[in-house]
Amino acid sequence: MKAFLFKIYMLLFMVLVVFFIVVIWNVTFGHIVHEYYERQKVNDITALKGSNEQEVEKSTFEKVILESDERVKNYLGYKILEETRIKGHFHHIGFDIGPDKRSYCVKCHGDIPHDAVKEIRAFLNMHTFFVGCQTCHIKLEGKNKTGVFKWYNRMSGEIVDSPVKTARPGTYKAKIIPFERVNGQLQRIDNDERIAFALEYSKREKTLTEGQKSRAIKLIHKLVSKKPVQCEECHQKDNPLLPFEAIGYPKERVDSITSTEVVGMIKNYTKFYMPKMLTPEEAKKK
Amino acid sequence: MEKHPMIKIKNGKKYFYRFTLNQRIQHIILAVSVVILVLTGMPLKFHDASWAPYLYALFGGIKTAPIIHKTFGAILMALFVYHVFYLIYVIRKFHIAPMKKKNGKLSKMEVAKIVLTQNLVPNLKDAFDIRDLMKYLLFFTKVRPDGDNFTWKEKFDYWAPFWGMIIIGGSGLIIWNKELATQILPGEFLNFSLIAHSDEALLAALFLFIWHWYNVHFSISVFPMGTVFLTGYMSEELMAEEHYQYYVDIMKKAGLEDEILPPQRGQSHEPPEGGNE
Amino acid sequence: MSLKIALKNYFILFLPAITIMLFMPATSFSADIGNCLLCHKYPGISRVDEEGKLKLFYVNEDIFNNSVHAKVKCDGCHTDIKEIPHKHAIKVDCLVECHIIEPASKKKFSHKDVQTFINKSVHGVIDNKGKEKKFKEDFPTCKSCHDNPLYRPISFFKRVRPGISEQSLGRCRVCHKSEDFIYRSYNHVTTRLHPLNIAGVCAKCHNDLALVTRHGLSTKAVYSYGETFHGKAASFLDERIPNCLDCHVSKGESVHQMLTHKDPNASTSEQNKGKICTTIDCHPSASPKLAKYGVHSEFNLTQSPAQYFFTVFFIVLTGGTLLPLMVIIFLDIVRRFFPNASIGGRK
Repeated sequence: MKAFLFKIYMLLFMVLVVFFIVVIWNVTFGHIVHEYYERQKVNDITALKGSNEQEVEKSTFEKVILESDERVKNYLGYKILEETRIKGHFHHIGFDIGPDKRSYCVKCHGDIPHDAVKEIRAFLNMHTFFVGCQTCHIKLEGKNKTGVFKWYNRMSGEIVDSPVKTARPGTYKAKIIPFERVNGQLQRIDNDERIAFALEYSKREKTLTEGQKSRAIKLIHKLVSKKPVQCEECHQKDNPLLPFEAIGYPKERVDSITSTEVVGMIKNYTKFYMPKMLTPEEAKKK
Repeated sequence: MEKHPMIKIKNGKKYFYRFTLNQRIQHIILAVSVVILVLTGMPLKFHDASWAPYLYALFGGIKTAPIIHKTFGAILMALFVYHVFYLIYVIRKFHIAPMKKKNGKLSKMEVAKIVLTQNLVPNLKDAFDIRDLMKYLLFFTKVRPDGDNFTWKEKFDYWAPFWGMIIIGGSGLIIWNKELATQILPGEFLNFSLIAHSDEALLAALFLFIWHWYNVHFSISVFPMGTVFLTGYMSEELMAEEHYQYYVDIMKKAGLEDEILPPQRGQSHEPPEGGNE
Repeated sequence: MSLKIALKNYFILFLPAITIMLFMPATSFSADIGNCLLCHKYPGISRVDEEGKLKLFYVNEDIFNNSVHAKVKCDGCHTDIKEIPHKHAIKVDCLVECHIIEPASKKKFSHKDVQTFINKSVHGVIDNKGKEKKFKEDFPTCKSCHDNPLYRPISFFKRVRPGISEQSLGRCRVCHKSEDFIYRSYNHVTTRLHPLNIAGVCAKCHNDLALVTRHGLSTKAVYSYGETFHGKAASFLDERIPNCLDCHVSKGESVHQMLTHKDPNASTSEQNKGKICTTIDCHPSASPKLAKYGVHSEFNLTQSPAQYFFTVFFIVLTGGTLLPLMVIIFLDIVRRFFPNASIGGRK
């Protein structure tokens, strides 16, 4: 037994020695190699210098997407404020929201999906941070309409208590999702089955035939209604689509959401800025 | 020296005397201060590494760690100075003085010869031992080289820190007293001192923590720890494995010729008391 | 306890206190007269533009109110926005005369002077012959260096706790009666950047190898600063350590007027260099020779060949010693697996 343990020990130690060899290489000769390549790079750039040209940036995914998201630390003495740096951005963000890991819509459409109607896209995206896609883009009609909405955690996907009272507006880390009734049972609309279906599609997309592909896309979007929920369906005092009280909005927040300021602004937008706002399809064509 | 017999027998096992108490204390001071110096120095060298701030915080961060580093640096340098005087003293008392008694006045050449034939001075045998060790390790022979009192490994262990101490200590002093040093030296000298200090420290740290610790801790002949640095005595098996030539000499001197172990033909990976294969 | 966790706990512990101390008086002075935050308080208010750039229109009210611009109303900078809802806003001109009255001169405040300093400095786009410099798109604009500067109250006045020192505020109250004024002025005056913040600002350009090379600079300056003791100490959050500006700007001059070392007026010029290190706050007993220390020396054959070869010597020494020894350890272990095997003669 002891002999066996010693054998194991020796084998592990051999691995350790190899690891040390790599470490030692990296902290010694590795430096020389690295310096050489750095110098080559400098030479390449210097060669370009005379021609008044900049090195053509290679637009790899790595460079354009991954490296572009810098983190910045603000050392304030009594604390360190760490946040995302957006190039040329002046105001501080101060915290991270984190991508929605539950929604299968954002897998293709992204967390900032609205782009079509120029005048209101930022507004729509603002709602996307705490309103699930299905809330507006699926209109449950008739007996399917339950009027039940709940919050789910962006990270875990689980149904959570309303965060409205505990966080500043819009900074909830949770999103509203509608519930439908299946066989008399209340069920969240983004059930596991639908998520699995969409995931399966994106995984197998390359192996599907033309027909299969189109059918899959159609089926994934089957629930989506042609005309999404409109601003004033929620931003109104009488019978708004979202049951604000039920999803944890205190009275003053409800008042603010349905205030004349907000409602008036929506009216303004509809009237003066883009009469076509309510029909984005047409706006797009234009 | 008589207090410590060359061979001590305990529970029927022979132990061989190697280090005096003075030497053992020097070694402990050296070991402790080097470990602390490495722990307070490396986070600075590898300040980008993820572990650096945590390790540094353990020593009180940027406010305290440099003070600890300088304190132990000073202790180490004091030890080094002491050691050099100790060396001179030992050589004079035990090697030069007896010769003087025998031969009268010694010429410079003779003194130099005494110094250069000290146990710890590298010699030709070390070169042969290295060659033989490579033969052994590459399966060309079954016989380990028979080491003398101090093998080439131990000489390496001794002279590497010795040289390191001069380089690191010297450059450390310059960096520490940069205001004073730059009264005479140009500022660029600080750059060189920093490079020497940190690079040589890395060498010393890796050397001690991998090579030295392997030989005295982790190699299965000694695992989990050789005790010679605490007790001053080394077991017979180890003596025969590493210092066979010296071992035979001592056994002969002690009149124990019949009890000499055969040369260790290839150390088995089992510990001495280990089971059968 | 680890440093990061310690900081975090520290923060959480004091969060209520900080919130009360910092946010309360500030919110009563909200700059948001036009109720812009009705929409802009939502962090999701954003879009991706045609170039694929993320445009975020979110304003964090708490942070904004604790920034030096807290008292400036939204339309003080976003001058083109007169009503809600508004269309696409034009870029803010930092040099605009804003509605703040500067208390000393009683005039409307503007950052215009900064531009004159910049123009004289190495960072100006026009050279001293009046010609446009090459690669002018590389040169910094206001926002290249500055985001909204945050209040950073002195927290080490007679105590090492976060937040504002009541004791020092007491001294302000002797003369100044308005709490808001005291609070704001104190914060404004004590707003100083951490060495790492400054290094971070410079690093945006000066650590970019391509940019640095294009402009014929010999070093990735913040990288090489980071390799000095000063830089390392800063990275371990020592605030007493000199940052870029301490050496590169003469005492009392505008930091926006960064001069090339060829300019005799520059703090880094041959004549003035010796004085950098020996100031009363730094190394007063040092000789001017100390300034010859190569702060920005890199391990680079073209930049500092002597140090390059010196380092290579140690690299070869280290690698040359340790790697063979590692191989011996490795072989030693292998050998112990087969203690009696041998391919040679039967010695």
